[in-house]
Amino acid sequence: MEIKKETIKHLAELSRIKLTEKEEEHLLKDLAKIINHFNELEEINTSKVLPINGGTNNLNIFREDNPENPYQGQGKESFPENKEGFLNIPSVF
Amino acid sequence: MLELQNLTIKNFYEGLKNKKFKALEIVQAFLKSIKKENEKINAYLFLNEENAIKQAENIDLKIAQGKEINFLNGAPLAIKDNILIKDLPCTASSKILENYIASYDATVIQKLKEKNAIFLGKTNLDEFAMGSSTENSAFGPTKNPYDLERVPGGSSGGSAAAVAANMAIAALGSDTGGSIRQPASLCGLVGLKPTYGAVSRFGLIAMASSLDQIGPITKTVEDAAIIFEAISGKDDFDATSSEINLNFKKDILNPNIENIKNLTIGLPKEYFIGGLDKETENGLNLALENLKNLGLKFKEISLPHTKYALSCYYIIMPAEVSSNLARFDGIRYSRAYNEKSLLEMYLKNKSLFGEETKRRIILGTFVLSSGYYDAYYKKAQQVRALILEDFKKAFEEVDVIFAPTSPTIAFKIGEKTSDPLSMYLSDVFTIPANLAGIPAISIPVKNYYKNKNELPVGFQLMTKHFQEKNILELGQVYEKLINN
Repeated sequence: MEIKKETIKHLAELSRIKLTEKEEEHLLKDLAKIINHFNELEEINTSKVLPINGGTNNLNIFREDNPENPYQGQGKESFPENKEGFLNIPSVF
Repeated sequence: MLELQNLTIKNFYEGLKNKKFKALEIVQAFLKSIKKENEKINAYLFLNEENAIKQAENIDLKIAQGKEINFLNGAPLAIKDNILIKDLPCTASSKILENYIASYDATVIQKLKEKNAIFLGKTNLDEFAMGSSTENSAFGPTKNPYDLERVPGGSSGGSAAAVAANMAIAALGSDTGGSIRQPASLCGLVGLKPTYGAVSRFGLIAMASSLDQIGPITKTVEDAAIIFEAISGKDDFDATSSEINLNFKKDILNPNIENIKNLTIGLPKEYFIGGLDKETENGLNLALENLKNLGLKFKEISLPHTKYALSCYYIIMPAEVSSNLARFDGIRYSRAYNEKSLLEMYLKNKSLFGEETKRRIILGTFVLSSGYYDAYYKKAQQVRALILEDFKKAFEEVDVIFAPTSPTIAFKIGEKTSDPLSMYLSDVFTIPANLAGIPAISIPVKNYYKNKNELPVGFQLMTKHFQEKNILELGQVYEKLINN
């Protein structure tokens, strides 16, 4: 498939990444080449193959939801802006 | 005192135990070496000097009091800077995390702390572990200690260079598509990527969660076995981790030569169809010859979907990257720009991502986007199943698979940066083990010496899930053979 500049712009918007004109051009060129390489996968008939999504066969792994989790609350120490123990962000509305 | 270059975890432990030297002497010798070498090589991003000295003094006190010590007591290690150590910076070599201080220990760090290992510092990597040369670091490239004009490999290039340049006794790296094994190969070291799930990923900054594994980069296979034994096992904080048989853990430190002789080694024809440089080809032939002298059985096998592994990986990995890296938005962890609106804040902070990181996020967003999901992402997951199936079939006939680690020796800095696809090909032989989740190790073909105008070559051994024993035992027998 052919990848267009509009596609790149759209993907960048979805990813919340601002690209410069030059970056867009580079990405267009690189992605076209990389995605073209992917076309070799069409040679393989996968109609009867079940997809796998990981390296493990582990299923439904549970653990006690222990309130004594030693890590509880520690993340907030690394908040860039801490206000009375809450993460400070710009107003959303 | 031993020369730093001859120091392994094993003989460091013996030296401490027999009071040949003190932990503090060795730690200070490493710190001195770092001060001399790091300026040229750029392996370390941060040092943990004060703590390292304090820890070494504690170990010496313990020994003076006649207390028992274990293999890793006082061992001065280098840690890849995408693994969290509480209260130390963790940047993943990204500008976006430049000011981030880890608020907890990764499970592997916790386990090494319990053994009283010493952390000398945090090592350079390709940003978020994305690359094969450590050139994608926001804090400058790392140089190969064997030739400063060449790359050390990547993404764990800082860890490999630190060990190769006598700036640490051993190191931890992470491997998503070859990031432990390829730099180990290019720096003349041993690199183990454990089975997916053998080592907890808790506290590793995630790149592609279904592929990432933490593992050791060491001078000997024996040292790799010691670290693997220490860091592996089930962890409640990583639901994909699994328990490992304890007897088996003991066995890997006491290889049985008779067991080794019963192993059958598979030679996959798809890995030997050309594309290797001359040095690598010669090196692999030498390794094969050495292995044949051990009296092992060899068998040609086929892994028919090998040629599709690279495409498969470069769909699945960026897809996971695009979702894992969404959390680095300037809101949590680290904030370089404070803007009036959320959108502006996202855009401004994410502009700190490097070129390769942006490329993979955009590519991952593409393969997951509506209309392309089935053609790319789902297709890649199906091909991944076929690659796993290939290995399962092969392991009905053989115990271990022999393969190249990297198609080339260390390449020149800047040689591959303009063409991402040629850089991606560096991982062509290491990616399949990650896709299938099997363990794999890179071992130097022979002993390499700096200033001898020769660059290291490694070979790779792969085996069945959770059978690290096979490759760690065989590797130890191999290195004893070449050392004699």
